[in-house]
Amino acid sequence: MVVAALDELRETNPGCRMVAYADLSTHMVLVTDSGTTQPREVLDALCDEAAALLGTRGAPPIGAAPGTTAVWATPASLRVFLRAPDEPQDVLCCVCAPDVNVGKFVANAFACLDRISSE
Amino acid sequence: MSDLTALAQKLASLHSSDDRFEHGARIIAQGGVPSGMAAVLHAIDDTVLERQLEIMTGTHIVTLVAAGRRLRGIAGVVPPKGKSPRLAGEAISRDDKKSLAAIGELLNELLMPAPRLTLRSLPSGGFGRSGERGVAATDLISLWQVDMEAEVLPPIERFLSGNRAALKAFLHVRGDEVVATEGDSAQLQDLMENQLDAFLEKKAKLSGNADGPQLISLEGVLPGNVAVALAQAGDDIVLITYDPVALAQLHASWQAIFR
Repeated sequence: MVVAALDELRETNPGCRMVAYADLSTHMVLVTDSGTTQPREVLDALCDEAAALLGTRGAPPIGAAPGTTAVWATPASLRVFLRAPDEPQDVLCCVCAPDVNVGKFVANAFACLDRISSE
Repeated sequence: MSDLTALAQKLASLHSSDDRFEHGARIIAQGGVPSGMAAVLHAIDDTVLERQLEIMTGTHIVTLVAAGRRLRGIAGVVPPKGKSPRLAGEAISRDDKKSLAAIGELLNELLMPAPRLTLRSLPSGGFGRSGERGVAATDLISLWQVDMEAEVLPPIERFLSGNRAALKAFLHVRGDEVVATEGDSAQLQDLMENQLDAFLEKKAKLSGNADGPQLISLEGVLPGNVAVALAQAGDDIVLITYDPVALAQLHASWQAIFR
């Protein structure tokens, strides 16, 4: 039911363009929302972003420890990466329009991650 | 300036068609331009017939009653903030300096951090007694010491200034020169010297990287309840530490200033 959770996140947030659930240990996107038809290279690139911005074991992006949340705003997009608290290798990767409501979206993305983690 | 000249200027400005609207409300300030206080005082000064001015800050709805280019009082603040329950509903007067100062402080706290202010001018439902005329916008400008013609700061400085209360510390660098620091910036200096270049190099290779201003927020990377943000705009780079609860505020402000 992970796909259902990802679909709900995308559908209830109009600015959301893509949601993926990835495993940083294998560097693979495990599943995406059902509306995403991006090729494997795009999904691999999203994994690269999650690893670079959240960091991996022994390699924080910046600071002292791998991060739990990264939000990256550019003129082209807003990208949100969240690490699952109980499975630190599992991350939620979201690509949104640059004008998405960040507060609302991040709160909804955390709820989605909680839902996935509890299944 | 005579009253007629002022009125002619007001009519001309009201007639101009460059106003922007959001969900039917007029955007009166965006990204700190003009300052929230200046925007609201302009709105009061533009109000001749009695109206309720409903100002949306993003976190609060502030309803003022204005007439004759004067502020008559605060009708309500939702949700309440600070002294607003005591001040709402009270007609203001030039003689009550204490209340005027409290209203000025309250409006400043409500308006200044707002990334965007929108205004709806609504029919007034009546307020106070007819003899209570309120205080002229021009008098409020001097009483509250609002600089209506303040020079517009560069965007990155507006971002830092508008979010000052949410930031624990920042280190602002332009080229190789430290332009400004605030708070305990020693930790940021260390990040800047030892980790920033490698991080920026890695970021530049990512597919999501794009030209133009960028804000990256990273939570969980420092011990304690401290998050790090990196703001980039042109030659400016700012490393910031902030309380994670301010994440949404910082990004809303960034969007308002840089979009």
